[in-house]
Order: sequence, then structure tokens, then C-alpha cells
Amino acid sequence: MTIVVGYGAERGGRGVLHLAAALARSAGDELILCTVVPAPWPPSPAKVDAEYRAELDRTAREAVDHARAQLAADVVATTRVQHARSVPAGLLEAAQQHDADLIVVGSSSAGVFGHVALGSVSSRLTHSSPVPVSLPPRGYRCKPADRVTRVTVAFGGSEGADDVVASAAGFGARLGASLRLASFAVRPRPPFTSGVGREGEEAMIEQWVEEIGAAGRAALEKAGGLEAASRQPELVIGRGESWAEALEDVEWRNGDMLLVGSSSTGPIARVFLGSRSSKIVRDSPVPVVVFPR
Amino acid sequence: MASLREQILRRKPVSAMTEESGTDTGKGELARSIGLFQLSLFGIGATIGTGIFIVLTQAVPVGGPAVILSFVLAGTVAGLTAICYAELASAVPVSGSSYSYAYATLGEGVAIVVAACLLLEYGVSSAAVAVGWSQYLNELFDNLFGFTIPDSLSNAPEENGVFNLPAVILIILCTLLLIRGASESAKVNAVMVLIKISVLVLFVVLGLQGWNSDNLSDFAPFGLGGITSAAGIIFFSYIGLDAVSTAGEEVKNPRRTMPLAIIIALLTVTTIYIAVAVVAVAAQPYTEFEDQDAGLAAILEQVTGSSTPATILAAGAVISIFSVTLVTIYGQTRILFAMGRDGMIPALFHKLNPRTLTPVPATIIAAVVISLLAGLLPIKFLAEMTSIGTLVAFLVVSIGVMVLRRTAPDLPRGFKVPLYPVTPILSIAGCIWIISDLRAVTIYVFFGWAAVALLWYFFYGRHHATLGRSGPANGGAT
Repeated sequence: MTIVVGYGAERGGRGVLHLAAALARSAGDELILCTVVPAPWPPSPAKVDAEYRAELDRTAREAVDHARAQLAADVVATTRVQHARSVPAGLLEAAQQHDADLIVVGSSSAGVFGHVALGSVSSRLTHSSPVPVSLPPRGYRCKPADRVTRVTVAFGGSEGADDVVASAAGFGARLGASLRLASFAVRPRPPFTSGVGREGEEAMIEQWVEEIGAAGRAALEKAGGLEAASRQPELVIGRGESWAEALEDVEWRNGDMLLVGSSSTGPIARVFLGSRSSKIVRDSPVPVVVFPR
Repeated sequence: MASLREQILRRKPVSAMTEESGTDTGKGELARSIGLFQLSLFGIGATIGTGIFIVLTQAVPVGGPAVILSFVLAGTVAGLTAICYAELASAVPVSGSSYSYAYATLGEGVAIVVAACLLLEYGVSSAAVAVGWSQYLNELFDNLFGFTIPDSLSNAPEENGVFNLPAVILIILCTLLLIRGASESAKVNAVMVLIKISVLVLFVVLGLQGWNSDNLSDFAPFGLGGITSAAGIIFFSYIGLDAVSTAGEEVKNPRRTMPLAIIIALLTVTTIYIAVAVVAVAAQPYTEFEDQDAGLAAILEQVTGSSTPATILAAGAVISIFSVTLVTIYGQTRILFAMGRDGMIPALFHKLNPRTLTPVPATIIAAVVISLLAGLLPIKFLAEMTSIGTLVAFLVVSIGVMVLRRTAPDLPRGFKVPLYPVTPILSIAGCIWIISDLRAVTIYVFFGWAAVALLWYFFYGRHHATLGRSGPANGGAT
């Protein structure tokens, strides 16, 4: 098993390296640290850009070596400089060539600390990758020996959600982590003038919680074969008036990861972050993985 | 301090070049994978294009219908120089522009002259191409929407305008793309080449309707001098053929493939060019070419009496010339980058943006200069400056091939010029012949530019050259 780690030539944050190390340690996987540089133009008239390309290679090589030096020493990692027309395309090519089963990229440096922020690269990946994509929150750090101990799968009860639970169970098993199912009940309070009172929505939410709980248990049972028998998966509900509140409502700890599925309207067999998933991803306090459908 | 003579003659060691290009890190040895067919197509694709869209308007008033012969002359010289260039390129194990080859084989002094010529071949040609684009854009606007950009905003001052705005906008658009790190995929490039060829074929087929032998009766009104002068302008449309020369390390059996591919590409391109030229000069008297904007489209409209074919042609030109401008500005910035790395020009030029990995300052500076040229100078002058720059660069390369045969006879060469020394001598003679018949103003401006480059070298380059600071010829210059 291999994990492709995208590391920018501009030497982005360390969060991505910490997350990659934690994942590799937990799963016993090998890391491929990859820096993408622009490919030469195919017909390359007169090759006038030879020196420029040499400089790009050198810069990328330095960046990727720098990343290797930053990475915890106990993790097996190789480095590679990929030539591609764009960074996401380069990472996808690297993933394909190495038959990788996960791509890890960093959060955008324009994001808020402690939250996952999609940048131009991660945005494109979370809307087209055929393999799962993982992102740390900005400023993510873990201790040198930390592992992933628990994976939480966001469960929406929609069509295809069972598959997400199944892949999450498989993913958790590979990392040696326990599985947890989380559903988020997000409902703003009704307006005062509606006449149903401030708690008017409560009954509906209760009803929904009951239904989603049953669906979740069914999904877990279906996926049960994949889960280590000794562990009993948990089921939690986060409530709030906004997604941020709902996500905070759930208890999180070190070693957690949040797993979300792709939108059912996206292309099949590809990662495609839907509207709800992207809200969950944005408010997640822990690293996330997006699975293809 | 190294003496001036030592500085001028110092060569960039090949080992330093291979180190920089990462040749020994496993990526250097390129598989010899390109065959004759592919290489010929590559040459055709790199050569055919923009020149022909704009060059007739400039060349026919100078040469008359005999421009047909000018195409043959310019093509022959282009082919000879390309063959000589191939030998020089094959003597240096890394690829690069002719500036890099000259630096490695002929020394710093020659390299700076070649670099000055390349700034004309790339920078000034981008400007020329952009001006041509603005003409076709205007034609397209006129045909599609019935309005044109006023002369004051679409012509150079010498042509009763103030500033060529569309040309500058094109350059700004290309610059933005290049700063972002855009590139063109092989597919897009192939489509662009196809568009160019289809548009030219369309012109030839429809233009034949307007055939009038009377227009050819006065075949060479300006005599031999007119033919060579026109060849000087036309040479511009053969730029790109030298791209074949630099592919040497990837070509199977280069000794046979290389000259053959150059000849095949040359014959194909020249045939298409001549077909276009014959149809054009037969369609209208040579006196009408002068001041005809968007020449091919205008002729087509006149011949067919309908604006539709002209619109298609103009649209094809607008799309494909955009791509040519993008590629030439790209080339320009990368040559500046290489020169910056060698310390010939300030370090600013080899500063990369860490995110996009593009040389942003070099791109912006090049764009500003090219915009000014495109906005303020007439296309004929730009085309001639491009031609003279390219001709002198290849003149130097051809002389260099002969010099190198004497000074370094044992240097391994992947490709050797056939019929040595006839080929380089013919190449040198051809270049000089065409150059000597260019307009005097072009030649003076070129000498002025070369003098500026040499003064720059004298006062800046030789003191700042990376070679002088760290190389074996270290003389304490800082």
C-alpha cells in the first residue's frame, strides 16, 4: 500500500507531513513525497527553456528533500519529482503510477488555523480524484509516535451512504482504528413570528435522529463483516444551528479522523465533494478523508 | 581580474551545464525515440504559421510577383542554417537555446551577440505577431459586428495611429497566462497547427477563382534586388525551423534523419507558402498590397465577393496567432532566465515565483518592452528586425560550426553537416546576401542594438558573469 503526499515547491506547512506520517505509521504504508513542477511544453519549440527547466527540477528536488528531512524518521518514504501540466494532475499521475490508495495534500495557507481549508489543488482533487483524498486542518500537528486511533464516518442516510460506511470500516480496519458513525442534525431555530415557539423544530429533529440512528445501525451491520469483531462501533449525533455547531457538539480527541463520502450527483468512481460534505469538511477540527463513490 | 580577451573567450564548461540541467541525476539520457516522420511533422508544426498571414503585405510591394522566388531563397537559406545549427546543437550534450550552445562552444563574447539576436527573434517577433493579430481581429470585428477599432487605437504612430491597443491587450493576456503558469498541451498545439494549415488551404482553394494572369505579367518589377529584399522580410516566416535542430539527442539515426527532416519540413512549408503567394499575387496587382491590413482575408473577400470566407480565415488567424504569441513570449522569458542565471543580466530575471514556479519579474519586464514595441512600431519594421536578428544569429552559428571544426576537431558531435565545408559557406553567404539587401534603417538599428548589447557586456556582463565569480577563470571580479 502506498500514500502519495503532495508537497509544494514553495515548501508549504508541516501539517501535511504530520498527517501523512500518522497515516503511514498506523497502516504500515509507504509514503511517496511528491513535488510537482510544470511539464515542458510538449512540442518544446527550440528547447529555449532548458536552463529554466533545470532550475525547476532543482527547486523541486530541494523541496522534496526538505520535506523528507522534516518527516518523522520512523516512516518509510521515497521522494519524487513529477512533471505535469498542473499540480493536481501531477499528483493524480503519481498516484496512478504507484497504484496509491490515498492522496494526502495540505490545507490552503489562506484558511483559518484549526480548520480544513480547500485550496486550488485540494479543491480540484476533492472533485476528481479516483482515490480517496485526505487533508489536515491548517496547523495540524501530532506527536512523533501518534497514530490514527479512531475514524468517524459522516453518515447522511442518503442513497449510497451504506457504501461509504463500508469503505470507512475497511479504512479504519487497515489503520487499526475503531469506527464511529456521526450524523449531524443542523436546523436553525424557527423565526419568532412562525407561532410554533422556539422549540418547534425539536420534535422533527427527534424523529430524524431516530430514523438516522436506525439507518446507521443497519449500515453498520451490513458493513459488520469488515469490522474487527471485538470493537463495537459507536453512533453519535451532533446537533446545532449551524454545521460548525453540530460538528463541535460531537466529542473529538487526538488521533481522530473524519471520513466523508462523495456526492451522489458526482461522477461514479471519483471523489466529488458535495454541498453537505464540503460544509462538514470545512468545519472539521480533525483531519478528513474524502472517499470516491 | 581576467583580461577582456579571456572574458570574451571563456566558455561555459559543459560539466557545469549538465549539472544544472540534472543530466546525471538519471533524467539526462533521453531515449532516441523520434523518427523521420515525427521529426518532419514537428518541424512543419513549429514553422508554419503566423509569418505567412502578415508577410505578403510587406514583401510584395518590395519584390513584386517575384516574391515567389523570395520564398524559395529565404527557405533555402533557412534550411542551410538549420542544418548548421544542428551540428552545433549536437556538440553540446544538453539542450537549450542557441545562446546556450554558443556560450558552451564559442565563448561569452559570441554568446552575448547571439543573445542580442535572440531578443529580436523572440521579443520583437512577439511584437510583430501581435500587430498582425490586431489586424485580423479588426477584420473579424468588421465582418461579424460591422465596427472596427479606430485607426488611432489600432495602428502605430507611423501609420497614422497613436497606439496599437489590441496588440498590447493580446500581449497582456498572454503574460497573465504565463505568470499563472499556463502551458499548451500537445493536443491544443496540434489543433492550432491544423487550424493554420486549413485556413491557408482555404485561402488557396477559394483564392484560385480570382486568378488573373495579367497580374503576373510584370513578374519582377524590382529586379533581383527586390527579390532579395523581400526574402529578408519573408525570412521571418521560416522562424521555428531551427526547432528541429535542437531535437538531436532524441532522434533516431540523427545523421540521416536530421537533414532529411529539415528538408522535408522545408519543402512542405515552402510549398504551402508559395501556393499562398502565387494565388495572392495572381489575384490582385502587386501595387495593391501596400497598406492592406489583414492581407489574406482582404484578398479573399475581394476575390469571392463575400465576407464569409474572409471571416473564417480571420477567425482562424485570430485563434492560431494567439497561440504563437504565447509560445514566443514564453521562449523570450526563458532565454532571459538562462541569461540571468549566467549573470549576464541582473539576477531579477531568474527569480521564480515559488508557487507557480514561473519567472514573474522576467515575464513582466519582457511583456512591458514587447507591448511598447507592438504598440508603437509598424509591422514591417518589426518583421525586418526579427529577420535580421534571426539571420545574424544563424550567421554566427554557421561561422561557429567552421570555427569549432578547427579549434575542437575531436569534440564528439552527434550530427555533422553534410558536404562540409560547402554547406556552412553557402549558409554564411546566403545570410549575408539577404541581410545586405534589407532596408538601411533596419541594418543601422541592428548595429545600434548590437552595440548596446556589447556595451552592456563590457560594463556589466563581464563583471557579473557567474563563470568569472566561481569558475576556474576567477579573477576576483565581483
